[in-house]
Amino acid sequence: MPADPNMKILVVDDMSTMRRIVKNILKQLGFNNLEEAENGQDALTKLHADSYGFVVSDWNMPVMMGIDLLRAIRADEKLKKIPVLMVTAEAQKENLMEAVKAGVSNYVVKPFTAETMQEKINKIFK
Amino acid sequence: MAQSRGPAQSRDEMNEPEQDGKAPDTKLYEELGELARFIDTTMKTLSEFSAPVNSSTEQLPQALTHLTNLKTLTEQGTHEVMLQVEAIQDNHTQISTMLKELTQALQQAQVSPALIQQFQKVGLKLGQDDKRLLDIMTALSFQDLVAQSVNKLVTILDEVEHKLLQLVVVFGPYQKQATKKDQGKASAMLKQLEATKNTSMNQDLADEILKQFGFN
Repeated sequence: MPADPNMKILVVDDMSTMRRIVKNILKQLGFNNLEEAENGQDALTKLHADSYGFVVSDWNMPVMMGIDLLRAIRADEKLKKIPVLMVTAEAQKENLMEAVKAGVSNYVVKPFTAETMQEKINKIFK
Repeated sequence: MAQSRGPAQSRDEMNEPEQDGKAPDTKLYEELGELARFIDTTMKTLSEFSAPVNSSTEQLPQALTHLTNLKTLTEQGTHEVMLQVEAIQDNHTQISTMLKELTQALQQAQVSPALIQQFQKVGLKLGQDDKRLLDIMTALSFQDLVAQSVNKLVTILDEVEHKLLQLVVVFGPYQKQATKKDQGKASAMLKQLEATKNTSMNQDLADEILKQFGFN
């Protein structure tokens, strides 16, 4: 099933520039319902307050890391089915096995292109 | 180093001389003396380095400020470029809609197909530029990587500042002018430094340490 362009997407990153970049890419890919959160804790609060169809999260964040957000989502009965795309820096590649074990849907390594993002989203929602 | 050789001498008399004509205790005593002199010389040499160490320690907060500024400036610059890119993208979206409407109107008016093709070519060019704009946008993710590297550098510099301040405190009392009071303060400061090992350096503590040892 292709991704619904109207689904609500949560972009989680502590860097405002990265949130803006990811949101811009998603917008250019046809997604219009975009929200953002500054860290894992902020994201969890928003995920509990509303209905989201997809989460794009950074790995390295203060307060709550991306991996901890992923584990919290997978452990929550209400949230566990939400696809999570993890965004990591080159240096954090080795952490990906940890993310796979925790149930990540897919991942992209920074810096990435819009094509890569599209490809990963297609794989998640195929 | 103590100059009394009494105990060693008395034991010398009880021991058999070795091949070089010296009793083992005498040899050990001389070697210990050599070692003590070596340590003393090393300590003096190291204390001579304390001025450049202090100078480096004083400059570290400036280096940290420069790095933080670098992160802020690249972030501001990136946001400015993004703002412009987003404005152009919005304009393109509006122009694309207008072009589509114009093309449809021209088709309905049955104007020359060549003219309609020209409009369609303009639309294609706009699409190509949209792709470029998106590439600019994604290329700006360099700022996030810069920020992460700067954060790592700040952590490293913080650690170096800790170590340098420990050196300042250790060698401070070794200076000739240092009093027992200074030595007591040094010990207290070392404890404070140890306590802040896993946290960011308290600027007040750093300033106080440098002040106590005459580097303002």
